[in-house]
Amino acid sequence: MLPTKSPRTVVLATGAVAALLAVSACTSTSSASDDAGEATYADLAGSAACVELREKNPDLVGTTKTNALNPHTPGYEVVNPENPDEYMGFDIDLGDAIGDCLGFDVDYLPVGFAELVPTVASGQADWIVSNLYATEERANGGVDFISYSKVFDGILVTTGNPKGITGIDTSLCGTTVALNKGYVEVPLVEAMGPECEAEGLVAPTVSLFDSSADCVQAILAGRADAYMNDINTVKGYIAEHPDELDSAETVMLDYEIGIGVLQGDHEFRDAVQAALVEIQESGLQAELATKWKLDENALAEPTILSVG
Amino acid sequence: MTEFLHYLTLPYLLEGIAFTLRLTAMGFVGGMVLGLFLAAMQLTRFRALTWVARAYVTLYRGTPLILQLVFVFSVLPRAGITLSPLVAGGLALALNEAVFFAEIFRSGVKGVDPGQVAAGRALGMRPALLMRRVVAPQGLRAIVPSLGSEGVATMKNSALASIIAVPELTLRTQQLASATFDYFEIYFATAVMYLLLTGALTLVQLAVERALDLDRPAQASLRSWVARLGRPAVGVPTTVEPDLRRAPDRTDVGLGEVPALTRADPPPRSFGEALIEAFDLRKSYGDNEVLRGIDLHVRQGEVVALLGPSGSGKSTLLRCINHLEGLDGGSVLVAGTAIGYGERGDELVERHVARQRVEAGVGMVFQQFNLFHHLTARENVAAPLRWVHGWSREDAAARADELLAQVGMAHRADALPRHMSGGQQQRVGIARALASNPKVLLLDEPTSALDPELVAEVLGVIQGLARQGGLTMIIATHQLRFAREVADRVVFMAGGVVVEQGTAQQVIGDPQVEATRRFVRAMDSAEV
Repeated sequence: MLPTKSPRTVVLATGAVAALLAVSACTSTSSASDDAGEATYADLAGSAACVELREKNPDLVGTTKTNALNPHTPGYEVVNPENPDEYMGFDIDLGDAIGDCLGFDVDYLPVGFAELVPTVASGQADWIVSNLYATEERANGGVDFISYSKVFDGILVTTGNPKGITGIDTSLCGTTVALNKGYVEVPLVEAMGPECEAEGLVAPTVSLFDSSADCVQAILAGRADAYMNDINTVKGYIAEHPDELDSAETVMLDYEIGIGVLQGDHEFRDAVQAALVEIQESGLQAELATKWKLDENALAEPTILSVG
Repeated sequence: MTEFLHYLTLPYLLEGIAFTLRLTAMGFVGGMVLGLFLAAMQLTRFRALTWVARAYVTLYRGTPLILQLVFVFSVLPRAGITLSPLVAGGLALALNEAVFFAEIFRSGVKGVDPGQVAAGRALGMRPALLMRRVVAPQGLRAIVPSLGSEGVATMKNSALASIIAVPELTLRTQQLASATFDYFEIYFATAVMYLLLTGALTLVQLAVERALDLDRPAQASLRSWVARLGRPAVGVPTTVEPDLRRAPDRTDVGLGEVPALTRADPPPRSFGEALIEAFDLRKSYGDNEVLRGIDLHVRQGEVVALLGPSGSGKSTLLRCINHLEGLDGGSVLVAGTAIGYGERGDELVERHVARQRVEAGVGMVFQQFNLFHHLTARENVAAPLRWVHGWSREDAAARADELLAQVGMAHRADALPRHMSGGQQQRVGIARALASNPKVLLLDEPTSALDPELVAEVLGVIQGLARQGGLTMIIATHQLRFAREVADRVVFMAGGVVVEQGTAQQVIGDPQVEATRRFVRAMDSAEV
C-alpha cells in the first residue's frame, strides 16, 4: 500500500547536485586582456607623441580602462572562437593601440547594445570602443564621443536581391527589414514609412534583433528581406554564406563611428583624441583596417561630439 | 554533430555554467529569504507592513526582469552603489524572485486548514510556535513542487543577466554565435546544457518531496523504533474496540468495564465551585447576531450538554469560552480568568491568550477532529505536551500511549490521521485534548462529522469520561440519547439565547418551550 522506498531518485539527485557543484567549482578565469603592461604596438608607444602624452597624463599610466562592448560584430569585435576568453577585431586592436600609446591596459565588459552608453554613464565601464555610431541622441545619454571612422552601410539581401532593394529609399516599401535593436538605421528605415504611404505603398516592417547573427539568421530563414550594417560586416557575412547572401547597395550614412567616454572626463577624452591622431597619422589605423579586411574603412578625423 | 559535441564540451561554455549556477543560487536563496520576509509582512496584523510588502510585490511582479536588471546595474551606480555584474545580476534576480517566493509561501500558509490553527490555539500554542510546528511543516510540504518550479524559473531567468555583462551561459553562447557562424550547433549545445541543469534541479525537487513524504515508511522509522524499544512490544493494554455495526446503547458503550450511569449515579453527584461563568455573552459576524446575551454557569465536575438546532450558536459559544473567537459583549470567566482579556478588560495579544488557555486548563475537541495532519496519533498527543507544557520526550510519549490506550487507539499510535477512520481520529482528538489534564473539556459536536456507524465508538469514549467523574465538560451535540445518558444538565439554545435548561429528564423528557419541543420531536424521530 505504501510506496516502497526507491533509492534511485535520491542517488540520481545527489549525483546531479554533485555534478553541478563540481562544474561550479571550476571557476572561470575570464580575463580578456592580454600581455598586461607589455606594449603590443611598441613603435607607437615609443613615438614622441605618445611619450609626450604619457608625460602629460600621468594619471592614466598603469591604469586599466574597462571597455564596454557589444561583441557581436565580426571584424570589429567578437570573441575569438579559438579562445573565447579573448576578444578580437579592429576595435579591440584600436583600443589596445590607444592603451599602449597612453600607457594603460584594457579589459572588457560585454553588455547589450542598448546598455553600452548607460554602462559608461553609470561608471560601470570607462569607455566604449564598439563600432558605435556617434549621434547626439546617444551623447545625451551621458557620454562624449571621439570619432575615428566614417560610416558606410551595406544592405544584406538574399542572392540576386529578389526584392530589388536599392538603398534606404522607397524600394524598401512592403519589405521586412531586419535591424539590430538601437542601431541608427532603425529610425532611417522607419522614416521611409510615410514616403511609402504617400506613394500608395505599404510601409516597411522593421524586425529588431539583439545581435547581428540573429539578423542574418532572419535573412537566411526568409523572415526578413534586408539587413543593414557596416559594409565590412555585411561583406563578412556574404563571404560566410556566398550561395545564399548578397549585398544590394552601399549607403553612405551621415555619421561617424566614435569612442564613447564619460561626459565631463575631459582629460581622458582629450588624451584619447590625441592618441587617435597619432594612430591615424602613423598609418596604424589603416593597417588595422587592412588586417581585419575592412576595405571600406575611411578614416574620420578625430573630432569631439559632446552635448555636455 | 562533431561541432555540436565540440560546443557541448567547450570549457568556455562550461565555465558559463558556473556563472549561471552562481546567479541561480543567489536568486534562489536570496529570493527565498526576502520572500519569507515579504510573506510574513503580508500575513502580519500590522497594516503598514502589509502595505509596504504589497507595494513591493506589485512593483516587482509588474515590471519586466530585464528592466530590473538594468536598474540595478546602471541606475544604482548613480546613487553611489556600484556592484559587480555578477552581484548586480544576483541581486536583481533575488529582488525579483522574492515576490514569487512570497506568494508561494503565502499560499502555503493560507492552504493550511484553519482547523489546524484552531486546534493549535486551543492547545495553548503561541502563534510563533504554531507557525513553526504546525503551519510551516504542513505548508512546506504543499509548496515543494512550486519551489522546484521557481528554482527552474530562476535558472532560466538568469539568462537575462547576459545583457548586464554577467559572463553566464547565455552571454557566452551569444558571443560565440556572433563570432563563429555555427549558430545552430552552439544554441543546441546550450539548450542541452540548460536541460541538464534544469533536469538536475527537478531531481533535487523530487528528492526533497520524497524526503518530506509522510507516507514514506522509512521516514519515522528510527525514532518510532527507538520509542518502541522503550515499552513492551507485545501485550500493550488496549481497550476493546466497540462493535461498530451497532447503534450506541447504554449497555454497550464498548469500553470494557461499564461504570454506573452518570445521571443515576447514587448518591447524587456533587459538584464543586463554579468553573465557567458566562454573563450576557454577545457575538456577531457582520450583521448576523449569533449570541444574543447568553448566561451560563457550569460548576466543577459538571457535564453539560448543549442542545439546539444548527445555527443556534452552540459552537460559537464554545469558541468564545476559550477565546478562539473574541466577544462583542458580556464576559466569560474560566476558573476566574477572562481568557483573552487583561485585568482592565483590554483584549490581549494571542501569545498572552495562549498562556491563559494553558493556565485555565481548557481542552477542546472539534467537530472536524483537527488532528495535526503531519503527525502520528502518538505525536498528536505527545507533541503539544512537549511544546507547550515542557514535558520530556519520554514522559510525553508515555502519557500519549496511556491516553491512546484509554480511548482504544493504542494499536494505531504510529498511524497518520489520514490513515484513520473519522471515529479513530476523533478518539485521538479526545486523547489529545485530555493530555494536559484540563479542568474543562469543550466538545464541539464531536460526532457530527462521523458516519453513523462510527458515532458509537466516540460517544463511548465520552461516556467513559463522564462516568469517571471529575472532569467538567460542555458538549455541543445533537444526540438526545447521549445527552440523556451523560449530561448532568441539558442547556437548550435557539436563536442565540438559552431557551431552557435543567436535567435531561426535564428538558428532553418534558420540554416547556415550543422551540425545544419541536427540536426534541425532530431529533427523536431521526434517532429512531
